[in-house]
Amino acid sequence: MDTTYAKAGTLAAPFALAAPGLFDWLETASAADLDTLPFGLVAMRPDGTVERYNLAEGSLSGLTPERVVGRNFFTSVAPCTNNFMVAHRFETEPEIDAVVDYVFTFRLAPLKVRLRLLRRPDARWMYLAVEKRD
Amino acid sequence: MSGTLVSRPAPASDYEALIEFLYLTPVGILKFRPDGTVAMANPAAAQLLMPLAGDGDLADIYRLFSRVAPDLRGRVERFRAPAGQICDQMQLPVPGTGTVLTLGINKIDPDTLMAVVQDISRAIEQENRIRDDQQRFRAIFENVRDYAIFTVGMDGRVEEWNRSLNRLGGWEAADVAGKPIGVFFPPGEASQQCGAALLGRACRHGTAEFEGWGVRKDGSTFWGNTVATALPDREGRASGYVLVTRDLTERKQMEDRLVVLATTDPLTGARNRRAGEARLQEEFLRWQRYGRVFTVLMIDCDHFKAINDTWGHDAGDDVLVALVRICHETLREADVTIRWGGEEFLVLLPETGREAALAVADRLRVAIGAAKVQRDGQVIAATVSVGVAEAGEADRGADDAVRRVDQALYRAKRSGRNRVVAG
Repeated sequence: MDTTYAKAGTLAAPFALAAPGLFDWLETASAADLDTLPFGLVAMRPDGTVERYNLAEGSLSGLTPERVVGRNFFTSVAPCTNNFMVAHRFETEPEIDAVVDYVFTFRLAPLKVRLRLLRRPDARWMYLAVEKRD
Repeated sequence: MSGTLVSRPAPASDYEALIEFLYLTPVGILKFRPDGTVAMANPAAAQLLMPLAGDGDLADIYRLFSRVAPDLRGRVERFRAPAGQICDQMQLPVPGTGTVLTLGINKIDPDTLMAVVQDISRAIEQENRIRDDQQRFRAIFENVRDYAIFTVGMDGRVEEWNRSLNRLGGWEAADVAGKPIGVFFPPGEASQQCGAALLGRACRHGTAEFEGWGVRKDGSTFWGNTVATALPDREGRASGYVLVTRDLTERKQMEDRLVVLATTDPLTGARNRRAGEARLQEEFLRWQRYGRVFTVLMIDCDHFKAINDTWGHDAGDDVLVALVRICHETLREADVTIRWGGEEFLVLLPETGREAALAVADRLRVAIGAAKVQRDGQVIAATVSVGVAEAGEADRGADDAVRRVDQALYRAKRSGRNRVVAG
């Protein structure tokens, strides 16, 4: 049994982007649970429509969930991810768990980030996690 | 007054809208300092420049562009004015990728520069494709054999010379460029109309074809096939034509030879019976419709069986050949000599009445009788009997005229041969 984090809604969230049990935790997490994460998290339907946009992601990008939820993440929220490194992988790989170094321009300043791309065929949503790196 | 200020939308939401606007801008925008430090960049800029960076580090614009524009720092430093455009739409091919970026840099003040980056790969690719097509097309233009391909403007003038015109007709640029397409047709009003008529039909129907005589630079003619296709402009209206001309002289000569073979009696060179009947039918219709009189002669070689028996069949053949030769020499070009049967020839004399025909018939009779067909050093005496019949009101078809001329011939034979009898 993995003890690095507890069940969603009952205790603390997994704190590391690379934590092995993150996907399972996300599958049962509420919007409020996602807001406790220390890194940005976007949950999307298989077509890229944004379902959840957590607090940390909002503070990185300057966008609020109200503006983002219901829109296509790759084309209408963050077109800089609409490429072979991010969007193309989500579109073509039914199952992904990959960590990718990337550069976002949140608030128009280049920012080195680490992305974790998560997708499983049986999952509720697919997820993109974002955290700053050095 | 203060109430209106309070009721304005929250500044935070304005800010968010502005941020979003910049996130979605499809053109890369960067703000940087003269030392190259990137202060701001929108996502499109990051997306375009990340492949250049390799490691994803966008901090230094000169480093980013070091491979595609190594002298960028120098360019910025050499730009002494406090503000102004340093470069605009500078095209930068990215080595090994097929990507082409454009870069524009404006100096805002001594410490601030703005750069605009765009990916124009697709436009460039399109341009290249068009250029390739043009080159390919030109190669076809210049190198096709047996064809000439050229363009003609709406005014019916040749737009441009190319080598295929030289191949087809020996034309040089000065002979044809800007000249009406009449230069490709033989002189004479009817021929000269052909070009204009062809273009007119192409304009109306999109494409049109013409087969007929063309002329080469040296004045010699060739039998050619020309297809004209109207070239539509952007609004779909004809803006000119492309013409493809093929030299079919050899084919035409072959066809002509075949026609001759199919319609000629191989021994004598006279029209064969089938072709002759068709010609006679035509003439009869002309007589019926337009009242243009004609007369037929039926010429039969007297005692032909005896000639064959005495001198051999080759000698008989020689007599027939001589007979037809004399007909051809004596008659007009419009008259037709037809081998109707073994030693029986029908001669059609268009536009000729009974009296004139009788004179012609007698001239033939005398000339043939005087012919000296030699065999084994001896002259074969051969005479002919001739029947004459003019087309008449009572004739219901050409056959009736032929029947009457047969009867006339029969009477000529019966009354002693070597004579002309009119029916």
